[in-house]
Amino acid sequence: MSNDAPKPAEEIDASPDDWAVAVEGVSKRFRVELDRPSSLKEAVLRFGRRRVNELLVLNEVSLSIDKGSFFGLIGHNGSGKSTLLRLMAGIHRPTSGKIATRGRLSALLELGAGFHPDLTGRENVFLNGAMLGLSRREMAAAMDAIVDFSGVGVQIDAPVKIYSSGMYARLGFAVAVNVDPEILLVDEVIAVGDEEFQHRCLRHMEKLRAAGTTIVLVSHDTAMVRRLCDYAGWLDDGRLRALGDPDTVVEQYLAHVADRDPSPPDHVD
Amino acid sequence: MLVRSFAEREAKSIHKRTILGWLWSLLHPLTTVAVYSLVFGVIYRASPPATANGKAETFALYVFSGLVVWNVLTGVVNGSMRWMREVSDLRKKIYFPTETALLGGAAATLLQSALEAGVLIIIMAALTNVSWTLIFLPVSLVLTAVFGLGIGFAAAILNARYRDIQHLVGIVLSVSFFLVPIVYTPEIVPEQAYGLPVRRLIEVNPLNAVVQIARDAVYSLETPAVGDLASACGWAAASFTLGLMYFRRRSMIISEEP
Repeated sequence: MSNDAPKPAEEIDASPDDWAVAVEGVSKRFRVELDRPSSLKEAVLRFGRRRVNELLVLNEVSLSIDKGSFFGLIGHNGSGKSTLLRLMAGIHRPTSGKIATRGRLSALLELGAGFHPDLTGRENVFLNGAMLGLSRREMAAAMDAIVDFSGVGVQIDAPVKIYSSGMYARLGFAVAVNVDPEILLVDEVIAVGDEEFQHRCLRHMEKLRAAGTTIVLVSHDTAMVRRLCDYAGWLDDGRLRALGDPDTVVEQYLAHVADRDPSPPDHVD
Repeated sequence: MLVRSFAEREAKSIHKRTILGWLWSLLHPLTTVAVYSLVFGVIYRASPPATANGKAETFALYVFSGLVVWNVLTGVVNGSMRWMREVSDLRKKIYFPTETALLGGAAATLLQSALEAGVLIIIMAALTNVSWTLIFLPVSLVLTAVFGLGIGFAAAILNARYRDIQHLVGIVLSVSFFLVPIVYTPEIVPEQAYGLPVRRLIEVNPLNAVVQIARDAVYSLETPAVGDLASACGWAAASFTLGLMYFRRRSMIISEEP
């Protein structure tokens, strides 16, 4: 019986390659029930004539991300980028195929990922640390750096529900990058911060990369992907259409966008 | 570690924005004890067995010693469904073993129960009705929490899909309350009623054993029967193991439920 813990890396460790994230033939199907019964009564009444839509969000995706590299994932909205990132983070389980990660993983998938609104910033930092498998002492040691980076100041002891969205995002990012991750998954979140914060995030990601952290970034900013990433992947409708050098992948993607829609590509995200 | 964080969170959040804070945790069970004692002790004139030193024949203390156990069960079972709901948003954004939220909640429930047990023991001490058998009280409370968690694991998963479950569980719990000898003694139950072996059914009830252990520990000050201890351990282990197995198999659904 497999429980819901992410699979140990050894399972896929067939090749001696120095990978940090391995994705092998992964498909993810979501069952979307149209007016799904939310009570037992409805479920019984509607038994046998439920309308279920199966949505194939990822279709046989295979890729391997080398340890210490910066990987960019691009594609249209709804192409499956975020789902792939969630699978890497262990939030969902693939419908078929295998996915494995090696090393401590920190994910920033949404604004203020993993914050509980009623708890203070400080309590949330500890809660997040616990989820990432850090001890209280390790978190206490990182606390000053986190508070400093996030710039929330004395509000660290106020409940996060009163934070502005910028503070929320900054604290989330500060936690994710200051827990010494070996793999960092980032989903477009830095776009919500102001210019100064974005710069700080980018600088910090580069610092992490220099220290050997593997980074996976989902972005619509093709210029940023070109500038930062060592490799890129282009997902289109759940399939991996291109993989490799960021310049080539971005060009293919932009050519496809231009083909599909005559309006300027910067308009279509 | 994560369990501890969830336990602290639960313990803190229960009494947020209240003036009396933890006092509520005591006022509520004490009121219940008072009401049951009034109805069954005064109006129906139920006579409890004497305490060990023969001094107190207070029905209220008899009820209280059973109620501390019952409150752990309802706290854990009802809580499990709530804790699961509370972490589901979190779980959609970050991976963590979901059962830790329920384990932490159960720990917080036990902490609250320790307060109640403390008050009960203080009263008993004032009546000089104490003995080394007290050590079986925490045993009973912990076994109840473990048993309740098994049910809570299953209820939390089912409730994630169909919110009817929380109402159904509420009804089942309020009926079950009267199937456990808390407001009556097993002796007054007829052997047979409506062709059913009623007393036997109450005796084999999984909750009967833990209530008996608690009663022996603080009320009659006897060493709990080996049979009760074995039965309580067996039920707790079976419930917890099956509940956790089911939970682990299905808990990935919460990140996919809308």
